[in-house]
Amino acid sequence: MSKKRVVTQFGMGTSIRSRNYTGAAARAIRDALWHNSLNVADAFGFPREAMIIDVEIGVQQPEAVDCAALLKVFPYGQPSVKVVKGGLDIPRRDKEGFSVVANAAVMVSFDMERNDG
Amino acid sequence: MAEQRTTQKPGAEKRTEEKRIILEMGAGNDLYGMDYTKAACRAVQDALHHSSIVLFKSLGYDHQQMRVQVTIGVQEPDKLDCARVAAELPRGRAEVTAVFGGLNVHDAEQQTTHVIATAAVEAYLPIDASHWRLSAA
Repeated sequence: MSKKRVVTQFGMGTSIRSRNYTGAAARAIRDALWHNSLNVADAFGFPREAMIIDVEIGVQQPEAVDCAALLKVFPYGQPSVKVVKGGLDIPRRDKEGFSVVANAAVMVSFDMERNDG
Repeated sequence: MAEQRTTQKPGAEKRTEEKRIILEMGAGNDLYGMDYTKAACRAVQDALHHSSIVLFKSLGYDHQQMRVQVTIGVQEPDKLDCARVAAELPRGRAEVTAVFGGLNVHDAEQQTTHVIATAAVEAYLPIDASHWRLSAA
């Protein structure tokens, strides 16, 4: 077992009116993923299913995030999600409620080692 | 730096083939100055800062080995200062090309034009896949 991190991706997502923390987190993940096209699996000759994807989400109410729903955003690989307190909630001045901002970090690793010999 | 793309002769010494490891995409605007270079620099920053290539540290590759190919799309590519855009790239050997693209948003009433630039940043690295394997489960 030698898990090696190769790329980290960053993103931000919001829920302006609906206070949907899962929705904001999903958008943050999409923002992180769809700003990049990763070719690392191919470069090393690994199948992309071997990608280990560790996701970290920051929102002000971590308990409100449905992690299982977030896993569905990933088209391939082995994702797992961790939610911590972070992101930002911005109160609305004019009316009730607030806007939600989620931050996402998507860390891509392979369980890989040097081919000696 | 030695050219990495030389064709291999059978039986000749094996050269490590250059492989694309990532394509980063970003967009940037210049709202009032119609400065394509400024918009392009922001597009490059947007592209760069949505990811971090940590494999240099974790797998022991040298940044200097990386070739960075930047393509900027703007509506007037001849007005782009490619050298200034290239200076935005902190690592590797960067090469910037301008093509027709992006978007200009014109307001005829206010006589203003917002310019939008698109950036594609491709990173290439000589990786020999035979040096690595997945660990046994």
